[in-house]
Amino acid sequence: MRTKSNLTITTCSRRSVLKNLALGAGLTGVSLAAPGILRSARAEGPIKVGLISPLTGAWTVYGKAHSAGFELGVDEINAAGGVLGRKIEIVVGDSRTEPRIVVEQANRLIRQENVDFLAGTFSSAERNAAGPVVTSANKVLLYPTFYEGQEQEYFPGVCNKNIFMFGPEPTQQVWPHMEHMTKNFGKKFFMIGSDYVWPRVTNKFTKEKLKEVGGEVVGELYIPFNTPQYDSALRQIRESKANIIFHTLTGSDTVNFRKQYVAAGMNKDFVLWTVDDEEVVTSGLGPDVSAGAYVSFDYFMTIKNPNNEAFLKRFRAKFGKDALMNTVGVAMYNAAHMSALAIKKAGKVTTDALRENLKDLSFEMAPQGKVTMRGRDNQMVLPSYLMKVRQGWTGVGDMFEEVQHFDSVTPVDARCKSLPL
Amino acid sequence: MNTALSVLVDSTLITFVFALAALGLAVVFGLMGVINMGHGAMLTLGAYFTWFATTAGVPFAPSVLLAAVGVGMIGLGLEHFVIRHFYDRPFETLLLTWGFFLITTEIIKIVFGTDLRTVENPLPGAIVFGTVVLPAYKSMVALTSLLILVGLALLLFRTTLGIKIRALVQNAEAASLLGLNIGLTYKMVFVAGAFIAGLAGALISPMLSVDPYIGNIFLVRSFFVVIVGGIGQVLAGTLIGSFLIGGSETLFALFSGQVVAQTIVFALAIVVLRFRPAGILRTR
Repeated sequence: MRTKSNLTITTCSRRSVLKNLALGAGLTGVSLAAPGILRSARAEGPIKVGLISPLTGAWTVYGKAHSAGFELGVDEINAAGGVLGRKIEIVVGDSRTEPRIVVEQANRLIRQENVDFLAGTFSSAERNAAGPVVTSANKVLLYPTFYEGQEQEYFPGVCNKNIFMFGPEPTQQVWPHMEHMTKNFGKKFFMIGSDYVWPRVTNKFTKEKLKEVGGEVVGELYIPFNTPQYDSALRQIRESKANIIFHTLTGSDTVNFRKQYVAAGMNKDFVLWTVDDEEVVTSGLGPDVSAGAYVSFDYFMTIKNPNNEAFLKRFRAKFGKDALMNTVGVAMYNAAHMSALAIKKAGKVTTDALRENLKDLSFEMAPQGKVTMRGRDNQMVLPSYLMKVRQGWTGVGDMFEEVQHFDSVTPVDARCKSLPL
Repeated sequence: MNTALSVLVDSTLITFVFALAALGLAVVFGLMGVINMGHGAMLTLGAYFTWFATTAGVPFAPSVLLAAVGVGMIGLGLEHFVIRHFYDRPFETLLLTWGFFLITTEIIKIVFGTDLRTVENPLPGAIVFGTVVLPAYKSMVALTSLLILVGLALLLFRTTLGIKIRALVQNAEAASLLGLNIGLTYKMVFVAGAFIAGLAGALISPMLSVDPYIGNIFLVRSFFVVIVGGIGQVLAGTLIGSFLIGGSETLFALFSGQVVAQTIVFALAIVVLRFRPAGILRTR
């Protein structure tokens, strides 16, 4: 026993000594190289972007469109000669859908790969994990996903001057359609969502607006990840006498819940409004299970406008005719182009310059139509669409039919301690 | 009253679905003492085979059978080439079957991709009695599960093969001295376990999203079912375990949120094990 414990101690200390040595060496290297030498050496090289995508793990299904959107954007920029005469190079980090791995990858990309800025992370939990890293390393993170909005409580994942939000938040994704939904289907909401920050805060904002139009929440349920059985949830919904099921389940739980909901014949008795199920998940649900659901986002593949048609043509040329795009992939595409525009405007690639020039920047060629990054709180001003899943759809071309849309929705101000960020 | 009745119906259905998912594990674990960590992968394979067959145009029922036979064959290969060399070494089989799980999951990703797949519900709709709603397909699965349990009971307690298997469980050495072909009997039990796991995966597939992790959802729960029910208590133990792990969650969810209900259930399982370490049906 004694020898064993001695042995452990020895290895431990040896390891930590090695680690400290390596760390020390690394630090000296950086500080020596820091100002002049490093920058001049890199001037001719490409601009490096760290792309953190969920390429494996539970949310792999979303990861493809996520990384494809960014790659397409970068390809287009490089084909047009790059920025400031330099190409953009993507260095990929797989988040494995785990916040812990996001921290590792962000550190690796910044410290070892020396990327100029970061793009990606997928879920709110992943973004919140990356928050402290980009704060301490002072790097910009371009975040693409529809999310719960910014509240000081979740700093540094939000309300962070280094993080730019390219996706919609509830006051853009939910609020504009509240009147239509309640007027047509009734004012009693049952909220069902996965048990983490995005559904909880999204519901909080949704309730605010619901109260404003005189509605009420008759049930609220949070489901742990990977729940196979929804009988008790379905019974609670049935007994609540709700008009609208407001749905924020994610990933495979969405599919599990919706299949059992339809199998119980409940889709005839309730209206379901989801703010999660974009093209990828709706494809996974299939036409029988998804038909009749209402979905709201800033972007759908079915949107008819010249930007989107041209965008989809290029996207399909690169990734195949059956490849799926969604709101997150388009946000990544916009993030690539807008960061390039900001760098061009600044004439240099530094965190400060990127941050300053992304603010109040507009992008005319965005697939969903012109979008603008609001400078005050780093939140994108976006369109908002309410769609209904068509009966018997055969593919993304006829999956959604438009109910209503707004060309440009300005979100309420971020609830941060001090604005502008 | 109505709520009570519908809760009863719900928890009964879930109990049988869980029993079906755990039965393959219970057979292999209970009768052979092999801790099959690959059980989740076998469920997943069953689901994917069903998806593959139905997409290729095979009707649902034959697809399920094909899937179960397919997983049974994989089980046969696994037993013949690997497991049988490690019967007296439980820790090694645990690692080997875990390896099988990891490899299978990655192969599934490579062969079938990581997109969400769906198997269409072959029996859509529900039977409604007042406030009690019986989803047609789930009821069918519960019924199948019951039939398999009854069939297994008949096999174990009414046939010569059943006597041989029980003899093997009681005392392998004595059974072999009396001329029982231990290797062959073990092989049959393992393949039967794999077959049932494949069948369960196939039958569960229309209720869940078919992804490379579909089996994982049930793996931990299945282990709890088997351990709480009592190792070796293949039939009654599996049913009681399934009720405690699956059915009771529905009851607790009546009074609390789903998250709390799930926590209570697993805490309860630990309490049961603390006072009945050999499972609820066995006192030691």
